[in-house]
Amino acid sequence: MKVLVAVKRVIDYNVKIRVKADQSDVDLTNVKMAMNPFCEIAVEEAVRLKEKGVATEVIAVSIGPKASQEQLRTALALGADRAIQVLTDDPVDSLAVAKLLAKVVEEEQPGLVILGKQSIDADNNQTGQMLAALTGMGQGTFASEVVVDGESVNVTREIDGGLQTVKLSLPAVVTTDLRLNEPRYAKLPDIMKAKKKPLDVKTPEELGVSTASKVTLVKVAPPAERQGGIKVGSVDELVDKLKNEAKVIS
Amino acid sequence: MTAHDELLTFLTTTLGPSGVLCDDVDIARYRIDWAGAQGGIPLAVARPATPEQVAEILGYCHRNDIPVVPQGGGSGLVEAALPDRDTPELVISLERLNGIRHVDPINFSMSVDAGCILQTIKDAAEAEDCFFPLTLGAQGSCQIGGNIATNAGGLNVLRYGMMRQLVLGVEVALPDGRLLCDMKALHKNNTGYDLKQLFIGAEGTLGIVTGAVIKLFPRPQVTRTALIGCPDVESVLKLYAQSRRSCCDLLSAFELIPRICLELAIEVAPDLPDPLDEGHPVYILMEVAASGPVNLDGMIEALFEIGIENGWINDGVLATSDHQAKQLWRIREAMLEGQQRRGEHLRTDVSLPLSALSEFHHRAQLSMEETSPECTVIAYGHVGDGNLHFNVLPPPTLEQEAKRSLLHELELQLFDIVAEFSGSISAEHGIGRAKQAPFLETLTAPEHEIMRGIKRQIDPRGMMSPGRILPATHD
Ligand SMILES: Cc1cc2nc3c(=O)[nH]c(=O)nc-3n(C[C@H](O)[C@H](O)[C@H](O)COP(=O)(O)OP(=O)(O)OC[C@H]3O[C@@H](n4cnc5c(N)ncnc54)[C@H](O)[C@@H]3O)c2cc1C
Repeated sequence: MKVLVAVKRVIDYNVKIRVKADQSDVDLTNVKMAMNPFCEIAVEEAVRLKEKGVATEVIAVSIGPKASQEQLRTALALGADRAIQVLTDDPVDSLAVAKLLAKVVEEEQPGLVILGKQSIDADNNQTGQMLAALTGMGQGTFASEVVVDGESVNVTREIDGGLQTVKLSLPAVVTTDLRLNEPRYAKLPDIMKAKKKPLDVKTPEELGVSTASKVTLVKVAPPAERQGGIKVGSVDELVDKLKNEAKVIS
Repeated sequence: MTAHDELLTFLTTTLGPSGVLCDDVDIARYRIDWAGAQGGIPLAVARPATPEQVAEILGYCHRNDIPVVPQGGGSGLVEAALPDRDTPELVISLERLNGIRHVDPINFSMSVDAGCILQTIKDAAEAEDCFFPLTLGAQGSCQIGGNIATNAGGLNVLRYGMMRQLVLGVEVALPDGRLLCDMKALHKNNTGYDLKQLFIGAEGTLGIVTGAVIKLFPRPQVTRTALIGCPDVESVLKLYAQSRRSCCDLLSAFELIPRICLELAIEVAPDLPDPLDEGHPVYILMEVAASGPVNLDGMIEALFEIGIENGWINDGVLATSDHQAKQLWRIREAMLEGQQRRGEHLRTDVSLPLSALSEFHHRAQLSMEETSPECTVIAYGHVGDGNLHFNVLPPPTLEQEAKRSLLHELELQLFDIVAEFSGSISAEHGIGRAKQAPFLETLTAPEHEIMRGIKRQIDPRGMMSPGRILPATHD
């Protein structure tokens, strides 16, 4: 069984985000980029499936600019067998990504597609669901456990107030939650081997998908600055401020 | 009124009531340091909030022969900041003198009060797209004044130098109560003797640093962190030399971590990774950083290839995200705590020429094991600077008395070997009280004379941190 994993290049989650002066977008100049953490979990899960003998081949796919090949190389170093890049410098929204992935699914015919539940830059949480709808596959989202069992997969989902397990017939779409696994570190020898693994480049035109978006980004604003704390001189003063200024006690 | 009452009245008048602490409970935290060493009961703790107040207190103490000791964050490792156990001293804490005065991103400099916490300074630099490189485990509590007084080193010395290289100017309250102000933010200044250097690394024995101008650098934008398993220390040193060459001297940290330290770290923080398939005798935690778009991956991959080919590298991992990099660095922090938990042990901070380090390591290890076969040697550190923390855990079953004398014997033995290899017994922690005896032994007559002369010239009454570095001269 082939497993397809989607990998997105995003701002590293430790970076303090700066907004462009004209508020048109987040400032990406000279900012550290990395693989979306949920995608790392997806890659890890796919590689574990291969190590268990469940998957025969792991294919990583990324849609984005040339530089996203870095993240594909990381996926290859972590254990993916080959990579596909859909090269585009245009901003692509979730629907376009889902349509492009659907085309790749059509070509590759994977038994399982694993995606992150969301990317930490746009936080949309919809690509996996859209892909399932476009391809007619079943979906198991927010997975904290994935067990392939013959022709189906059991996905344990993290839902409000507990866990839910769904059984999907293969092929299926799974999106990963934080507790699914702890991604491994890339080994030096594997990093070197990854350089020799195949990486195919395609374009949206070749796949026959238009990336024109129906959504326009209007404005990005940073959160309001937190007010600094103050030191009070006595308990009485504290109680007074809590009562009369913060109005949290009466 | 007794002299003590007069001192308290003077301090309260000068600093206001919140500037003086005398209550047992309030002063308890000024009597203990990070390592848990306990100092004596001080005359009081003074908490001046301006450089002028610091100078005024020193002038008073000078006129009245009151010994004083400045205190920063209490993270120093040679017991220099603790009040004396026999002669009561006035502790002067710089904690309230803690403002950032000015950040200059064009001159790449920042002027600060001495009591500024190192982390606060690093954050202030970052906010101006700059970088202050001093990085050490205690950065959340140590103060820049303490860093200057100890000439602190830390993780990035191989790239940016020690504190001495990072100071452009200082403001110092002299023991007689005058303020020496050399706060010019100049990168070049050849006008006579470079007096500020005297106060850097003086451990508070020549005056109290009240402010400083420090050097900034462009902020690193790309960083790569790797944990590498190596067969032995000799391979590590060859890999170090190659790393500097292969990575265009962009190496910013190169830390030696023996297998046992990784285990100690995981003992403290079980969630930490042990990311290589097998254990290796020694590891290197290495960081490469650049302030612009440089292909670090390419450099590192080329380095790894050379390292593996030559047998210097067994295996290794490269962090693929900042999160993974942070986890790898947590190993370095947690292992210190792991050691701490093992109780009293020999802690040293030696430095050697890099080319002698492997042989030294081998000899010292043999020598320790010969004297005490059940002891555990833990040698780790900033190996890129030739700096080793060659520590020894005594056998856990040993009685307190026997343990002390064993540790003392091992230290003497170790320092003899350090001398043979023309090393230093203190690479970065200083002398303080803890290393005074062996330090005095290594001094030549002219060195000793000049050091005593400097001390006498600047602090004629010997009231500034007496008994640290040099023996006390008063009474
Ligand atoms: C976990 C940990 C890791 C460490 N790692 C490193 C490391 O990697 N490299 C390294 O070099 N050191 C290291 N240290 C020790 C290092 O010396 C201290 O962390 C720091 O430099 C001391 O600053 P402090 O403010 O805590 O000073 P304190 O401990 O308060 O004082 C240290 C000395 O400086 C004097 N002093 C303090 N402030 C002033 C002042 N304003 N004017 C004059 N004298 C003053 C004191 O009297 C004393 O002699 C480490 C310590 C810890 C606890």
